Amino acid sequence: MYDNPLTKRDAVTKEVKISARGCQVYYGDTHAIKDVDVDIEDKTVTAFIGPSGCGKSTFLRCLNRMNDTIDVCRVEGDIRLDGEDIYDPKVDPVQLRAKVGMVFQKPNPFPKSIYDNVAYGPKIHGMSRNKAELDEIVERALRRGAIWDEVKDRLDAPGTGLSGGQQQRLCIARAVATEPEVLLMDEPCSALDPIATAQVEELIDELREQYSVVIVTHSMQQAARVSQKTAFFHLGNLVEYGETGQIFTNPQDPRTESYITGRIG
Amino acid sequence: MSESTKGPHIVRSYDRDLEAIQALIMKMGGLVEAAILESANSLEARDEEQAERVRKGDKAIDALEEQVNEEAARLLALRQPSAGDLRTVLTVMKISANLERVGDYAKNMAKRTGVLLQMAPIEGSSGAIRRMAKAVEIMLKDALDAYIQRDVELAQDVRLRDHEVDQMYNALFREFLTFMMEDPRNITACMHLHFIAKNIERMGDHVTSIAEQVIYLVTGELPEDERPKADRTAIDPTTAQ
Repeated sequence: MYDNPLTKRDAVTKEVKISARGCQVYYGDTHAIKDVDVDIEDKTVTAFIGPSGCGKSTFLRCLNRMNDTIDVCRVEGDIRLDGEDIYDPKVDPVQLRAKVGMVFQKPNPFPKSIYDNVAYGPKIHGMSRNKAELDEIVERALRRGAIWDEVKDRLDAPGTGLSGGQQQRLCIARAVATEPEVLLMDEPCSALDPIATAQVEELIDELREQYSVVIVTHSMQQAARVSQKTAFFHLGNLVEYGETGQIFTNPQDPRTESYITGRIG
Repeated sequence: MSESTKGPHIVRSYDRDLEAIQALIMKMGGLVEAAILESANSLEARDEEQAERVRKGDKAIDALEEQVNEEAARLLALRQPSAGDLRTVLTVMKISANLERVGDYAKNMAKRTGVLLQMAPIEGSSGAIRRMAKAVEIMLKDALDAYIQRDVELAQDVRLRDHEVDQMYNALFREFLTFMMEDPRNITACMHLHFIAKNIERMGDHVTSIAEQVIYLVTGELPEDERPKADRTAIDPTTAQ
């Protein structure tokens, strides 16, 4: 009867894809992330939730070294992708970001054609030998982005001419074109209508078969719908990390409970 | 974590909705408690008017259950409650269903009382039934207090007390059997009295279920340990002799 209760949903032990230990982030004097330890599993959607300024986006950006581009930002501690330290001086951040792709809050297609938007990454990483191979990569990525049918007849049209939802799916297609192993999504649906949001959520669920997906979201319902694991951040601390079903039915920390139920506390 | 340690919702109308639905449960609980006592009293006092009031009063209990379900559905749709709030809504729905069933049993007792009043009374039985009904009514009162106070210990205590009701039922079962064997003319009355006793025993089970819901509401988990059961009349006829 209780073979697979919701609270234990997808609780099979999975391999750890990214592990962070003692992660600290400072913006100048501000201590933005305080000693975060977390294991992000492979082929799992992990949601980061928490109030604005709690550090969830900052932490997400540590996972593919996007914080390197901010001068005052300093990251300490140990973050490993498949056991390798991503902050090792020998690691090329560009190569790292090919493995750990990212989708941002606002759809940001390049001011180029739909085709070139997706082909850009595979081209600079030398993933194809000829036009035919590149065409194949682009089609596969657009299909995986669940937007192929809508754009296949106008691949030369500018990516910026698509609707917001289509642009976001184009950006997801662009992110998956380089065959990443991890996909980071920073509020991918906050600028989208409910239909486009549902399409992106369906896509996230499909992507889970191949990738580890980490999504930052302000929508608690979205976190509950798409993720298997949820991490709650508060004032730079990782307060609670567990199965999504458990976090939303029976959180263990009162700060988590207050936040997800919309209480002052 | 108890409700009292939690802050209010940022959206205050959410608190008002949750409070309103729980107020309905308490109102329902009050009506059901009264129905249990009155149906047992009407039997002992051979008061047909009181029995009739219980039979008519069940409509109000049913209407409240419907109202609780509507409010709960509305709250689920509009507020998407989670964690403790979600458990509150889920338990409210189950508790109202349990209360509704207890109300039905009380109504059935009152119906049988109407029939029994046409016959000669069976010596001593209605007093025992009233004591059993009183025990269940106190259990229900405590279960609802445990619900409002979010008191797991009290709920646990109620859960264990069902044992006593089961034992009272066993004793009555044996007693009625004896009466029927002594004189076949007692059979009709004893059959009705037995059903009344069985109804009260079932009420105890529903009250136990309410107590278990309180434990789930507070801890997020239903109790896993087997509670002691004493109604053995169904599995071991020798104890009934």
